[in-house]
Amino acid sequence: MGDIRQSLLPRDVLSAAKELLYHLDIYICNLVQSGRQPPQVDSKTLELVEEFILHSPKDRNTPARRMSALQELQLLEIMCSCFQEQSRDTVRQLMFSALFSLQGNQADESRMGLLGKLVSMAIAVGRVPILECAATWLQRTHRVYCIRLAQVLVDDYCSMVPGSVPTLQNIHSASPRFCCQFITAVTTLYDLTSEELTPPLELLQMIVSWIQDDPRLVLITFLNTPLSGSQPISSLDVTPLGGLVRWCVKAPLAYRRDKKQALTNGSTESELEVGPLFSTLHLSVLQVFMLLANILNEKGLFGRLALLQMDSLATLTSDLSRLLDQADKHTHTSSADTHAASQLALDRLAQALQVAMANGALLCSREDLRAICSRLPHNNLLQLVLSGPVMYYNNIHTPPLAFSPHAAHSPIASHPTHPTHPTHPTHPTHPTHPAHTPHTPLATHPSSHPQYPAQPFMTGIPFPFRPSH
Amino acid sequence: MSAQKDCEFLVKRARELVPDDPCAAKAWLITARTLYPADFNIQYEMYTIERNAERTASAGRLLYDMFINFPDQPIVWREISVITAALRSDSPDKHAQFLRGLFETLPGRVQCEMLLKATEQCFNTLEKAEMLLLLLKRFPESVVQHGVNLGETLLEAEVSENVETPVNCFRKLFVCDVLPLVINNMDMRLPASLMQKYMLKAAEFYIGYVTRGPSPDVQIQGSQEGGSLKSPSVSRGSQRYVIDGLSEKSSVVAEPWERLLDILAVVGARCEWQGDKGQRSYVDMLQRVKELCRYLPGLEGDTRSRCCSQVVICAALVLFRSAFLYVSAVQPALFQGVNALSSGPWILVEDLSSVYNDVEAERGSVKHAHKKRKLADGREKTMSSDDEEGLGKGRGRHIIVNKTEMPSWSETLESFRTARESWDLLHSHDSLETEFKKICASWKTDSWLWFRIFLSDMIIYQGQYRKALSSLHQMAAVQQPQPGQQSPSGQTSLEHHRALIQQASCHYALGEYRMACEKLLDVVSGLVPSNHESTKTPEDQGRVKTKTRKGNDLRLLPCTSKAVLPFCLQLMLACFKLRAFTDNRDDLSLGHVVVLLQYDWPQGEMLFLKAVDKICQQGSFQYENFFNYVTNIDMLEEFAYLRTPEGGRIQLELLPNQGMLIKHHTVTRGITKGVKEDFRLAMERQVSRCGENLLNVLHRFCINEKIIIIQSLP
Repeated sequence: MGDIRQSLLPRDVLSAAKELLYHLDIYICNLVQSGRQPPQVDSKTLELVEEFILHSPKDRNTPARRMSALQELQLLEIMCSCFQEQSRDTVRQLMFSALFSLQGNQADESRMGLLGKLVSMAIAVGRVPILECAATWLQRTHRVYCIRLAQVLVDDYCSMVPGSVPTLQNIHSASPRFCCQFITAVTTLYDLTSEELTPPLELLQMIVSWIQDDPRLVLITFLNTPLSGSQPISSLDVTPLGGLVRWCVKAPLAYRRDKKQALTNGSTESELEVGPLFSTLHLSVLQVFMLLANILNEKGLFGRLALLQMDSLATLTSDLSRLLDQADKHTHTSSADTHAASQLALDRLAQALQVAMANGALLCSREDLRAICSRLPHNNLLQLVLSGPVMYYNNIHTPPLAFSPHAAHSPIASHPTHPTHPTHPTHPTHPTHPAHTPHTPLATHPSSHPQYPAQPFMTGIPFPFRPSH
Repeated sequence: MSAQKDCEFLVKRARELVPDDPCAAKAWLITARTLYPADFNIQYEMYTIERNAERTASAGRLLYDMFINFPDQPIVWREISVITAALRSDSPDKHAQFLRGLFETLPGRVQCEMLLKATEQCFNTLEKAEMLLLLLKRFPESVVQHGVNLGETLLEAEVSENVETPVNCFRKLFVCDVLPLVINNMDMRLPASLMQKYMLKAAEFYIGYVTRGPSPDVQIQGSQEGGSLKSPSVSRGSQRYVIDGLSEKSSVVAEPWERLLDILAVVGARCEWQGDKGQRSYVDMLQRVKELCRYLPGLEGDTRSRCCSQVVICAALVLFRSAFLYVSAVQPALFQGVNALSSGPWILVEDLSSVYNDVEAERGSVKHAHKKRKLADGREKTMSSDDEEGLGKGRGRHIIVNKTEMPSWSETLESFRTARESWDLLHSHDSLETEFKKICASWKTDSWLWFRIFLSDMIIYQGQYRKALSSLHQMAAVQQPQPGQQSPSGQTSLEHHRALIQQASCHYALGEYRMACEKLLDVVSGLVPSNHESTKTPEDQGRVKTKTRKGNDLRLLPCTSKAVLPFCLQLMLACFKLRAFTDNRDDLSLGHVVVLLQYDWPQGEMLFLKAVDKICQQGSFQYENFFNYVTNIDMLEEFAYLRTPEGGRIQLELLPNQGMLIKHHTVTRGITKGVKEDFRLAMERQVSRCGENLLNVLHRFCINEKIIIIQSLP
C-alpha cells in the first residue's frame, strides 16, 4: 500500500485523508479475505495513517500538514460513515486499530486527540459501530490513555455543554460494552482523592441509574471476554467493581471533606444529594456480587479469578484509614456526624468485603483481611466480617461462604491431576496458562460442593474483637 | 457470643435503617445472609422489606427461597395462607392484587406444592375446596388425581352440613368450578353412571338457582323503599342474592341455562349419546330425543338404558326450562331476577268471550264438549300413531291472550307448548316415566310451587278438570308455608285468589255452577272495583266480534282487579244463562242474567232480547232486585215498554214485596193505580241512576245477593 503515497502527496489534506481511508478499507478487506492469521497491518500502512490522517511529520525535513477545524470535522464525518457502512466486524476492528492503536511514537498525541473527537461525535450521533470499536480499544489500551479518553468525554458531555448529559445517557442502550468500559475508566479516573478527582454529580447520577436499572451492565465486558489470560498488563480492570467499591466506601468521608470546604459558602447540598446515590450504588454493587457466584460457577471460574484485587483493596483501606485520621483531626471534638460518616464508610467496607468474598469475587482468607484492615478503627460489622460467622450454628447444612485459599494447600488441591478434573470441562483453558492469571490460585471444588467440610477460617476461631452488640 | 446474637444484631441494624435508607438496610441484610445463610429471620426480614414495598418480583424470589430453605417455618406458612386467601378472594384491594401477582412470579412447581400444602393445613371444607380448586385450575394435570375426590368431598359436605337447598356454596363450587374441570379432562375415564349423577346434580343446582324466590330480607327492604319516594323499579333492580358461605360476587351465576347446556353437551359426548355433537339449543334437543324415542322399543340392554337416560335427562331439562319460562311470564313475582313489573300475574281460565252467543248453540257445544274433544282425539290419532291413549287430550285448544298486555305472548305460549310436549314424551313409555319420577323424587319437585303452577295449567289445558282441581288444592297446601309470597305491587289478595279463580273456572267447565259461583263470589268480595269504567282496547272488541269459537278455548287473564271482576261477571252469566233459558220458568235466574248482561253492553243485546221474548211468552216476570241493580237505560226502556198495551201488558213484579201488594190490591180495585204509580216513580228514579258506575253496582250485586245467587243454583 506504500506505493499510493506518491498519489496522496499532491492532494489537499482532506482529500488525501479521504483517499487513504478508502484504500485502507480495501487493503484491510483483502487482508481479511486472504485468511492470514493473525491479520496484521504492515508498518508502511501505519506510517501512511500517521502522515496523512494524523498529520505527524514524516521526517524533520517535511513540514507538518495541518487541517483546518472545518476540514477536521469533515474528516470525522467521513470516518463515522466509513465505520458505519462497513458491515464486517473484523474489518472495522482492524481499521480502528490501524488508526488508533498507540504506537509509542510522537503521533500518539494527535492520535488521542482525533480519537477523543471521533468517539465524542459517535456518542452525539449514535454511531454504534464506533462505540463498539472504542470499547475494545478501552480493553486493550494502557489505563492511562483510557482515563484520558474518559476525561475527554466527561468534559464534553458533563462540563462543556450543559444539558447534554441525556445524550451520554443513551450509550447504555446503544453499546452496553462501551458503557461498561466507560464506567470502569471513569471509576479509575475519579478516585475521590481530591476535589478534581470527584465525579461530577450528573455523571454520578447517570452511572447510578445505569447500574440500578441493570446490575449486569458492569459485568458485560467480563461476560463477553474470553479470559484467555491475554489481558494486557496495566489495562483497565475487567469490571468497574473495584472502582465502584472504592467510590462507595470513600464517599461518606470524601464528600464531608468537600463539604467542609464548602461550609464557608454555607452549602451542604452536595452531601444531601450524593448520600442516597451512593447508598443505592453500594446496594447495586453488592447485588452484582450476588450475581457473580452463579456466573463464576457456570464458567468454572469460582475460586480462580479474583475480580477484586487484594492490592487495590489494601490501597483502599490505607486511604480510608488516612481519611478517618483527617476527619478526626479536622473536627477536634469528634462530632456525631463525623462519627456516623466514619461508621458508614466502615460498614460499607465490611459489607463489600464479606459479600465479595462469599461470592468468589475476592479470593483471600479472613486472616488476609485482618492484615489489611488492621489500622482501621473499631466497627462492629467489620469485626464480625473479619472474624467470620460463628460456626456452631444450629444448622449443619451451612454452605461454604467463600473460597478459601487454605484449601489450595490440601492434599486434594495439590494433586497434579486436578486441571483435568472431569466435573469441570471448562478448566483446561485456564490451568494451562497459569502464568497469565497470577490472581487465580487453583482451587478445588468451588461451592458446587455444598457438603464440603467447614473451612478453617469458619470454625469460629477465637477472635478478640467480636462485635460488642 | 453466639450466632444467634450476631443474627439479631444484623437484623436489628437493618430494621433501624428501613425508614431512612432502605438501600442500606438491604445492603446489611445481603451481608448478613452471606454470613448466616441458614438464618431464617434474616431472609424473612429481606422478604418483609420487599413485600411492604410491594415489589412483586423480588418479594416472589425471596418467598421462593424461604419456601425451599425453611419449609417448616410457621411464619412462612402464615404468609402462604395470606397469599392463598388473596387468591381465593375476588377482592380488588391493591394489596390483595399484589399478593396474587407475587404468587404468579413463583415457578409452577412451587405454586403447586404450596397450594397442596396449604390445602392440607385447611380444616374448613369450603376453604379447603377453594384452595384445591386453585390448584386444579392452574395445573390441569392435578385434576386426574384430585378432581373426583374434591367433587365427592363437596357433595358429602352438603349432606353432612345439612344444607336445605341445592343452591348452596358446596354445590355451587362443585357445579360451576369442579365439574367443568373434571368432565373436560380427557385424561380421565369416568363411568357413565357417575357422569349422569353429576349431570343431575348440576341440573338441580342450576334449576334451583334460576327459580330461586326473592329473598325475604330484600322484600322488607323493598317495601320500605316503596314507602319512600324512590321508584320501585330502582329497589327491585338492586335485588341482591347471596349464597350462604359465598361472597356476593361469587354468588352470581351467569347464564345458568347456557352453562347447563354446556355441561350436558360434554356429558352427552362422553356418555356416547346419540345425536350430533356440539352445542344445540334446548328446542333442538327435544326434537332429537323425540326421534330417538321411536327406536326405544326396539332397543335392548345397555343400549336401551343409555338411550333411556339420554331421553329422560334431555326431555326433563327441556321440560323444566320451558315450564320455568312459562311460569316466569305468568307468575313473575315468584322468582328473583325476573322483572315482575313488566307484566303482572296471569291466570289460565276458560275463555268466555262466547258468553253472549246464542244459548242454543252454546248449550249444544257445552253438552257435547266432551264428545267433541274425543272426536278431536280420534283425528289426532290417525295423524300420529305413536300417541297413546290420554295423550294429546285437549290438543289444538287455543289460548287467547291480549297481545298488547303481554308482548311476549308468543314466546310464553311456545314455552307452554314445549313444556307440555316434553312432559308427554316423558310419559310416553313406562321406562321413561320411571326414570323421570326418580329424578322428581330426588329433587322433591312436589315442593316446587312454580312447577305445580305449570302442572295445574297443563292439566287444565288437557281438560282434566277434576285432576286440575286436586292439583290446585295441592298448590294451596304448598303455598301455605310461604306466607311471603307477595308482589310489591300490592296485589297480595289478588294473587291469593288466583287459585280460587282457576278453581271456579274448572268447576264451570265441569258443569258445577254452584261451586263455580261460590268460589267466584269469594273472590269478588275481596275485590275493589276500579272507579273507571273498563275501557276496552279496540283489539278486544274486534276479537269478540270476529271470533266465535266453539267454547272450549282457554284464555290467559291478567290477574288484576280490572280484569278479574269482568271475568267473574261473565262466568256467573255463563252459569245462569243455561238455567234462565230452560223450558222451565226460573225468573230468579233470568233476572240475574238481565243484571249481568248490563256489563259489556251492548254485547249481550241479543241475549237480552231473548230474555224479553221469554218474559213475553210467560206473560209475567218477577224479580224483586230489578230496581236495585238494573241501571241500563236501554233495558229500563224495554221493561217500561213491556207494561204498555203495545208491549203486551206484561205483569212485572220488580219492586220488593210487590207480589204481596198486588195480591192485596186485587181485592180492592183502583189500588192497582197506586202500584202503577210506584212503578213509574221507581222507573224515573232508576233513569236518574244511569250515570252510576256500573261496576260498582254489579259488585254490590255480587256481595249483597251472594246467598240468593248461590242458592238459586242447584
